[in-house]
Amino acid sequence: MYGRKLSRRDFLKLGGALAATSALAACAPGEENPITVPFETVTQNPVITPEALTSLPPVPMAILALNRLTFGIRPGDVDAFNALGSTDDERLQNFVVQQLNPDSIDDSDFETRYNNAGFETLHKSHEQIYYDHIASNPYDSNDDIYWEWYSKPAYELADATVLRAVFSKKQLVEVLADFWHNHFNIYFWQDDGVPLLASYNRDALRAHMLGNFRQMLEAVAKHPSMLYYLNQNNSSDSGPNENFARELFELHTLGAENYLGVRDPNSVEKDANGISIGYVDNDVYEAARCLTGWRVDDDLGDWEDGVEKTGNFLYYKPWHDRFNKLVLGRYFPADQEDLKDGHDVLDLLASHPGTARHIARKLCRRFISDIPPESVVQAAADTFLQFKDAPDQLKRVMETILLSAEFKASWGGKVKRPFEAAMSMMRALNSDFTRAPGGIHWMLELMGQRLFERRPPDGYPDTRDAWANSMSLLYRWNFAVGLTENWLDDDDTGYRVNSDTYGQTPAEIRTASSLADYWIPRILNQTLPEASRNAVVAVMAQEYGWDEPLPEDHVRYVLPAMIEVILMSPEFQWR
Amino acid sequence: MTKTILPRRQFLQGCSAAIAAMAGAKLTNIAFARQDNPSDTLVVVFLRGGWDALNVVAPIEGDDRGFYEKARPDIRIQNLLRLNDQFGMHPAMSPLYDLYQAGRVGVVHAVGLNVDTRSHFDAQEYIELGTPGSKNTASGWITRHLQASGISSILPVLSTSGMPTSLLNFVPTVSLSTPEEFSLWDNGLRDSHINALRQMYAGESLLHRAGARTLDALDIVSPLSGGYEPSNGAYYNNDEFGIQLKTVAQMIKLDAGLRVATVDFGGWDTHEYQNSGDGGYMADLLNSLASGLANFYLDLDSGYTDKLSVVVVSEFGRRLVQNESYGTDHGHGSVMFTLGGSVNGGQVFGNWPGLHNDQLYDRADLAVTTDYRQVLGELLSKRGNNADIESVFPGFSGSYNPLGIFR
Repeated sequence: MYGRKLSRRDFLKLGGALAATSALAACAPGEENPITVPFETVTQNPVITPEALTSLPPVPMAILALNRLTFGIRPGDVDAFNALGSTDDERLQNFVVQQLNPDSIDDSDFETRYNNAGFETLHKSHEQIYYDHIASNPYDSNDDIYWEWYSKPAYELADATVLRAVFSKKQLVEVLADFWHNHFNIYFWQDDGVPLLASYNRDALRAHMLGNFRQMLEAVAKHPSMLYYLNQNNSSDSGPNENFARELFELHTLGAENYLGVRDPNSVEKDANGISIGYVDNDVYEAARCLTGWRVDDDLGDWEDGVEKTGNFLYYKPWHDRFNKLVLGRYFPADQEDLKDGHDVLDLLASHPGTARHIARKLCRRFISDIPPESVVQAAADTFLQFKDAPDQLKRVMETILLSAEFKASWGGKVKRPFEAAMSMMRALNSDFTRAPGGIHWMLELMGQRLFERRPPDGYPDTRDAWANSMSLLYRWNFAVGLTENWLDDDDTGYRVNSDTYGQTPAEIRTASSLADYWIPRILNQTLPEASRNAVVAVMAQEYGWDEPLPEDHVRYVLPAMIEVILMSPEFQWR
Repeated sequence: MTKTILPRRQFLQGCSAAIAAMAGAKLTNIAFARQDNPSDTLVVVFLRGGWDALNVVAPIEGDDRGFYEKARPDIRIQNLLRLNDQFGMHPAMSPLYDLYQAGRVGVVHAVGLNVDTRSHFDAQEYIELGTPGSKNTASGWITRHLQASGISSILPVLSTSGMPTSLLNFVPTVSLSTPEEFSLWDNGLRDSHINALRQMYAGESLLHRAGARTLDALDIVSPLSGGYEPSNGAYYNNDEFGIQLKTVAQMIKLDAGLRVATVDFGGWDTHEYQNSGDGGYMADLLNSLASGLANFYLDLDSGYTDKLSVVVVSEFGRRLVQNESYGTDHGHGSVMFTLGGSVNGGQVFGNWPGLHNDQLYDRADLAVTTDYRQVLGELLSKRGNNADIESVFPGFSGSYNPLGIFR
């Protein structure tokens, strides 16, 4: 369940950060691909052409690759990319290899920033976080500081995530961390385990996202954050809670595209190995039974036998349903050894062709297009299956996608979502900050994509139509204003973002048209259509002539307004 | 976060008269003629998560009360507000009880989707696309309604929470949380910004059209940012739902031809500890819902309720039997509410299937005896000035058989 918020009211007392707007559980995005509908067929579908993916003129490979594999182009990035080879293919190949081997990247500047950011909790192990912030929180729960201390690791994770997105050179890692957190989504304010979000993100996701999917799946399924979030922690033989099992099938592995509804499991077609080609409700119930007894070692009240309070995963045999089960056509005998029922379910799911296609499609949607070509989806799914036992399975899947012909021809397939738009603006302006001020998070909330605050388990949508709404777009524009004017700050902590656009402008450029023609390519790495370029010049010129030297005061005060317009342009929103 | 006082403002004050004049030329007041709106304003409230319909409207007598109590020993509701001889409403919904008795609130029980799914995301999509069983539909049901009935007004549709699937592919949608928040930050050159944005967003892509629509909406909404005084002493809770309804009321009173508003209210996925006696988590949600709707009606009972029709829908109801976590898992049949000046209220509509094991869907959940499209179809044809049910709900018009919920 993602709805309960017994303690959120207490968190709200912490002030500023969350007060502004409603964090709503909005609806899920759809899978675009057709599904087989087993029962009721719709006699006639309304055929309204969906928004065709915009066909834009191709851009240089550097721009495509940097937009897709990073959180936006920094000054100097394009030159660095072009130095990686003599042909586009060679440059892309080298860039992808570099980004997929993050240990090879010198990230010392970022590491210095990270050390200066003063994070107090992110170095702690999972057990330590549980002990310090949950089991032995030293403060009185009636005081705000108790809740501040309780949620501190999660808040620090959010700040560190912004810091990495803007400054780390291991950009693909950051893009993937964002993808996988949304794939295995956990809501920041879920009950019981808020501080554990930090260890979840690090130990269950980041540790595996260039590794093996089966291992990641198990790390996720056993992580206390997930056990709490989807009620697995309360699931026992006498009352299995099917919440986690359902999302395990529907979101984490097979996907809704392989859901065949409420029907007799015997009626489902089997593949060559006797495994069902899709899943039905009965599979969810049976999997829930397999997973009974998977819980958190969290006996804070000291009243359960055989349960301590380490905060670790615990297989609690008294709650496990020992009888036989049937999942996806596979028979599970009674009294299998400890944990085997659950592990077998994960094995079945992680090696299923339906899972391979679902994960491949989502990755292609992230990196190629809202509606990715089936050819590349299938190629990525093939890699996924071929290397299902390999320790670098997901790295190989990424290679298949990023080096594909479909990837190279995909400009226009993606629009930045709010988080990407905001991060890319800070990167484009060389904005500087020690720690992300509350203003950044608050603006992301108004845009509808505050970090880790998607409440339902499906993660934030990854298609443009979900974000092309007026409130979200307006606050994207406001972010451009707030960032460039240096308004993004935080009263409580004193953190602020500084974007010195005036200081980054060569002193000899002083007419409206030359300033526009300097900053447009500096930010966009391409030109604007004539009318848009002229609109930018007009903002800079105000009452002056376009080619007349501008007074220094005028440059100083109007330059940010001109830069804001460039950041607000449709061209900046393509990814 | 704070907005620092702008040095540029001072700079501009010392500037040429031309800039000053431009900076002050912002439209501060747009008067809308009361548009001749052929339809009610339809307000669609979607309760995300699948609300526990059997604790919202529960049996009060007979065998079904027995089945209900037996299945829910720890979470049954006791002190229900009597709706008729058969059903009572959760006591936390008392703010709506007077309106029910006055005939302004109608209830439809055992309503929902006639397809087999217990997935939130499938069920929400089926309902919002208006094509149960198919997710391969390129537009939402409200989109097709507005396309079929024609749009001429300035502000045809408002969403107070992002872009719901029911409005998929309807670019004229304006989404905003509150008028106060819906403004372009002013760095002292805002009009200059707006001029440039108009130029840059004059294109055909989804992004361009969304940008142009946002600029239009700014023109409409910016005069409203001065605060809002609800009529008749109505009071909106400062919660997700209350804030959204207040915004919708403000937009209705603009007389800008608002045809449809969508409101989202999440948090209904009650897998554990859903109540404590007649109170607790879900009771708080229900009270928020009922109090919000009652005050919304009160506020608009100032000349607007004759052309107001509200429907409340969730993706499914929940299992009859409680689970071991004192909650309920995903189920099937649900309950819908309607509210408005033209509702034939004070009644519970639908065919009650019963709660005996043999009467349950999949021997587990309240069955669906009324397709949710019966309710929405009647809403459109009687209150939305749109008799073309087939274009909104393809394949359904043959089964359309209005229950008489709306006049």
